[in-house]
Amino acid sequence: MSTIAHGAIDCDVHVEPPSMDALLDYLDPYWHEYIWGGRIGIGHSLYPPAETLSARPEARETDSFPPRTYEALREELLDPYQPLAVVLTCVASFQAGRNPYYEVAITRAINEWMRAEFLDRDSRLLGSIVVPTFNPEAAADEIDRLAGDRRFAQVLLPVRSETPWGNVRYRAIHDAVARNNIPIALHAWGGVAMAPTTTGGASSYYEDYLYNSQIVAPAQVLSLVAEGVFERHPSIRVVLSELGFGWIPSLMWRYDKDWQALWRETPWVHERPSAYIKRHFRATTSPTQISRRVTALEVEQFAGMLGASEFLMYSSDYPHDHGDDGSEKLFAALGESGREAVLRGNATAFYGIDSSRDTTATGHD
Amino acid sequence: MTIATATREKHSAPVVSLVIDTDVHPMYSMNDLLPRLDEPWRSRVARFGEPSGPTQSAHVNFPRLRNGGVRLDSRVGSSPPGSELSVVQHQLLDEFDQNFAILIPLMRGEGEPALQAALCRAVNEWIREEWLDRDLRLRSTLNVPFDSPALAVKEIEHFADDHRFVQVMVPGSAHSEWGDQRYWPIYEAAAAASLPVMIHVGGRNNGYRGAGYPSYYTEEHLWLHTTVARLAMSLICSGVFEEVPSLQVALIEACISWAGPLQWAMDQTFEQLGDDLPRLKQLPSQYFRDHFWFSTQPIEEPDDPDDLLHALQFTGMTDHIMFSSDYPHWDFDSPTRALPNSIRGELREKIMGKNACRLYGLEA
Repeated sequence: MSTIAHGAIDCDVHVEPPSMDALLDYLDPYWHEYIWGGRIGIGHSLYPPAETLSARPEARETDSFPPRTYEALREELLDPYQPLAVVLTCVASFQAGRNPYYEVAITRAINEWMRAEFLDRDSRLLGSIVVPTFNPEAAADEIDRLAGDRRFAQVLLPVRSETPWGNVRYRAIHDAVARNNIPIALHAWGGVAMAPTTTGGASSYYEDYLYNSQIVAPAQVLSLVAEGVFERHPSIRVVLSELGFGWIPSLMWRYDKDWQALWRETPWVHERPSAYIKRHFRATTSPTQISRRVTALEVEQFAGMLGASEFLMYSSDYPHDHGDDGSEKLFAALGESGREAVLRGNATAFYGIDSSRDTTATGHD
Repeated sequence: MTIATATREKHSAPVVSLVIDTDVHPMYSMNDLLPRLDEPWRSRVARFGEPSGPTQSAHVNFPRLRNGGVRLDSRVGSSPPGSELSVVQHQLLDEFDQNFAILIPLMRGEGEPALQAALCRAVNEWIREEWLDRDLRLRSTLNVPFDSPALAVKEIEHFADDHRFVQVMVPGSAHSEWGDQRYWPIYEAAAAASLPVMIHVGGRNNGYRGAGYPSYYTEEHLWLHTTVARLAMSLICSGVFEEVPSLQVALIEACISWAGPLQWAMDQTFEQLGDDLPRLKQLPSQYFRDHFWFSTQPIEEPDDPDDLLHALQFTGMTDHIMFSSDYPHWDFDSPTRALPNSIRGELREKIMGKNACRLYGLEA
């Protein structure tokens, strides 16, 4: 079990509503009947509770994970680790079904719940806006509705999609995040009723989990660059959340090479693709997906290829447990200034966090 | 026949003793197939063409803005690229003093089982008669009706005595994930015949499910490696290597630099989720290193050539990397220019030929 850093900006901490009841106040009565009639819960099966990765031992002891209340979050994470800031992630809407109107309603309710339960109670907490994925115009409306509340730090999109996120059909979302100057976070899972493979499902949870990072995430990075999203909106920034980063250098090298030959197909891509990737993307550190068997020299070589000190932003991915991995070697390879950047500096710049504000743990609640 | 030689280059790279090209594409035409098909297949194919699913053609859906995807000089007269042995000899085998070249005839279609089996047989016979019998430097891949495993096994057994067929084709898109146990008889038959299996990117249609369909060939081309990564994951996770321990798998035209970090991710995740893969007795990376092989083209070109060397070393598999040119496709890699000078000495010798000798049992 990798250790959680003290005093960091933690860019991926999972929270969940305790039950559907906690959301009913934020839902039109029409949906109350829909929810009761369909026996719809707020739970999901993305992280099966009994499975090791889903919770660190100390989180498992609470019998309720991820944290479902501010009190639980404070006790498990805020008090013991004193983070400067925490970006909260709720993936409950990633399995909200195919009804596009319900998806609009439930994402809005989750956002209101996050604001009331967490953001109103502790100035260290930052939220993720979840948005409907089947209705880009409604997603844009939700971003416009909430992004003025700067406690919402990012717009959360599931990494799995029906069409890659750079596609022109999502232009309403691109435009909305740009005009609100709010980053996008692509997070593992999503893709309601979509299969991760050509043939349908995955044969194991192990493969399904790895497909998020190894198979799907590279396609989204390619799409966002190839479709010219960053030419149209130079301010858009994207964080790859719980998607690893080992695959990034290979992707940059191969895309740079192909672009030299195939640029005519996407003439709006004016710079080397790796320049866009380095400038517009960041990745969270957990899971590192670096096995503890990888040598310190290899980790150091890899960190150089990635430009890890600039590219990475610290996350605990609490409460998920990614085991005894290569984190220590990675942080050792960063050097002192690189560690400072990854633990705090890069996220401060990425999210535009005001470093002068009160970030002490006292006086909250 | 006149052949443009304007692109001929100075051979200034380090000299190696052996050059084996593990990815060369001969292209057949309908006229090659029809005489080799029995009825009713001949009439059906003549009338309807190879069953390919017209909406699924990657070439149509993602047009290749580089001379249709082939080297400009590979069209000679009226013959399509890769269709004439003499052109391939002139532009590739003789030009670069290749000791051996492994042919990979990509098939487009996939019909009902008996038709697919007949088409595979026709392509295999065409390869034998028009290529292997005419140049001793050539070896080939055996096409099989992969989604009809019993028929695929028959095809392997039919050609098992012809040592010039050195591997069995696994398509880039099958009806189930490649590790599915229904395909294991194919892997067992290949191993029993001492043949590796080989996946080449593309070939038949590629599905895009996890993120949806991309818009451009650039994306499609760069995304192909994920198909191969999925195959590697599927085979490893299925436990087939415990069941068929001698099975070897060549990953062709899929790049290499992703494979080290994929092994790291697989191992690290296995520590948490290994109970989900009860057939495995070793770390995923161990199966990867013991059973898979890579080809070089399209070789990655990081700004710092040492990064490439290190990325190859991350795989722990520099004894399993084989040179390939991908002739006659647009992104052809020259034997004299593909590898940077950071790859030299014995490692260069291995990649340019010795590793392929070991996998394919070739003696130069």
